[in-house]
Amino acid sequence: MEAPVEDKRITLKEAVNLVQDGAHLFWGGFGFQRPPMAFAHELVRQKKRKLTIYTCGSEVDIDILSGACVVSRFELAFFAIEGIGLVPNIQRRIREGVIEIEDYSNLAMALRFLGGALGVPFMPLKSMLGTDLLAKSRFRPKKAEVINCPFTGEKVVLVPSVRPDFSIIHASRVDREGNAQIDGIRGEDIEGARAGKKVIILAEEIVDSEFTRAQPDQTVIPNIYVHHVVECPWGSYPMMVYNYYDYDMEHIRMYYDQCKTEEGWQKYCEEYITSVGNHMEFLTKIGIERLLKRKAKKPLPY
Amino acid sequence: MKTKKSYAKPNEFNTLELMAVCGSKQIKNGEVVFIGTGLPLIAAMLAKKMHAPGAKIVYEAGFIDSNAKEIALSIADSRLGYRAAGAVGLIETLGFMLQGGHVDLGFVGAAQIDEYGNINTTYIGSFEKPSVRLPGSGGGNDIISSAKRIVVIMTHEKRKMVKKLDYLTSPGFLNGPGARERIGLLGGGPSLVVTNLCQMDFHPKTKRIRLTTVHPGVSAQQVLDNSGFDLIVPEKIPTTELPTYEELELLRAIDPSGIYIPRTK
Repeated sequence: MEAPVEDKRITLKEAVNLVQDGAHLFWGGFGFQRPPMAFAHELVRQKKRKLTIYTCGSEVDIDILSGACVVSRFELAFFAIEGIGLVPNIQRRIREGVIEIEDYSNLAMALRFLGGALGVPFMPLKSMLGTDLLAKSRFRPKKAEVINCPFTGEKVVLVPSVRPDFSIIHASRVDREGNAQIDGIRGEDIEGARAGKKVIILAEEIVDSEFTRAQPDQTVIPNIYVHHVVECPWGSYPMMVYNYYDYDMEHIRMYYDQCKTEEGWQKYCEEYITSVGNHMEFLTKIGIERLLKRKAKKPLPY
Repeated sequence: MKTKKSYAKPNEFNTLELMAVCGSKQIKNGEVVFIGTGLPLIAAMLAKKMHAPGAKIVYEAGFIDSNAKEIALSIADSRLGYRAAGAVGLIETLGFMLQGGHVDLGFVGAAQIDEYGNINTTYIGSFEKPSVRLPGSGGGNDIISSAKRIVVIMTHEKRKMVKKLDYLTSPGFLNGPGARERIGLLGGGPSLVVTNLCQMDFHPKTKRIRLTTVHPGVSAQQVLDNSGFDLIVPEKIPTTELPTYEELELLRAIDPSGIYIPRTK
């Protein structure tokens, strides 16, 4: 006989409340695809401070976290707003000295999550050799190390595994017990979901366990890794979710233009994040018509 | 007689179009090619419509053998999923495919490049107190480390073609011949640099950057005036092969609203 379905659902507010100041987070999504934007907004609303974020590459979401001084350290490979330019808030916060970045390559970051997931202290790779990614470190006492392979003698770089306090991932669908499906590319989310000590899955839809268990091969993050589940439709807006919605370039461009100045950023932050009480109010402010215009037009995934 | 295959006149295309055509010619049919957004994306889409329909275009975010019909703004853009062979993740693209030795050619951009093809995409100014923080490596370091060939596409300015990089993000030939091999890098290093003024390759013996063709209307002196590094200038420098009418027609159909190639001269 099957056990009754465990219910891991909590609200976005409750999920963010679990994150203590100073916590270390794996940050899911890649580029424009599935960033945990709603989670970023709520971190700002709850005035979290001094977080460290680990990710391969992210864009508007981590710029918001930088603007609001939620994050003080990043270990990552990339940030920009692709198709537009450099991220404005991070740029400013670096100049002010309130944000520090430890740079790795994308493969190095993805392997650091894989190492964390596998429960080993480091992973080897063939990138970073001969460069300042190896030679220069910002705050890590030891960032990477070159060794001669004990079996073949060839040179490899070792990078430290990551076991963050939380893994934050925005998935396509999840059931209440935490079985998650991701449509389209997965970026580094498969490894990241297994690296965190506590895993929070936000999703566009909460589906019945009958749905996920009828197609177990589609579950890319099974329930045993997942501690909490949050229903979060349009949770990556104004960025995109494969099969759900396209990005809103007008909004992203407005964000970029406005955030070139500190005053502009403060205005954006108040208007779209702190003066709205929660994610639903944010969506209401954006407006149903505007959201529906970006809904994916099947069979296209955007 | 003007046919699809005849060369366009220099006043019938703009520099970005020429650069995209130069890039596309580097892609051979059947090759596995790693590309990013911007001009490389257009170049790859053109190559697939011209001489390399069997090229397999891979985006590091996870789309494999993409056949996108619309211009993507992000390497993670859902548009790249159109009729793709796979949608996976970075461990597969950068790990299994690239580091595993399956990638023939990679396209990268650069904020600074030196005479050995080393690239900076991280900081302008000192590491301690940078004046600009650039996007960082992303997959750039991985691609340049491990792909068999690399094409760099960038704008040609004195402050970008430098004697010494502010920060070495991705390895060209490091400090000269044999350095990549000594340090344990797998890939072949940069093979071509395409700019708005010229094309440059690397001398097979010294691994130093060398002028190979100049774009129509550009002189070797003009290239030197816009370069901060020492550039090998051969006695005879041909003009870059011009785009054909067919290539231009296809390019304009690929990017009809001018997202990456605005319709200006």
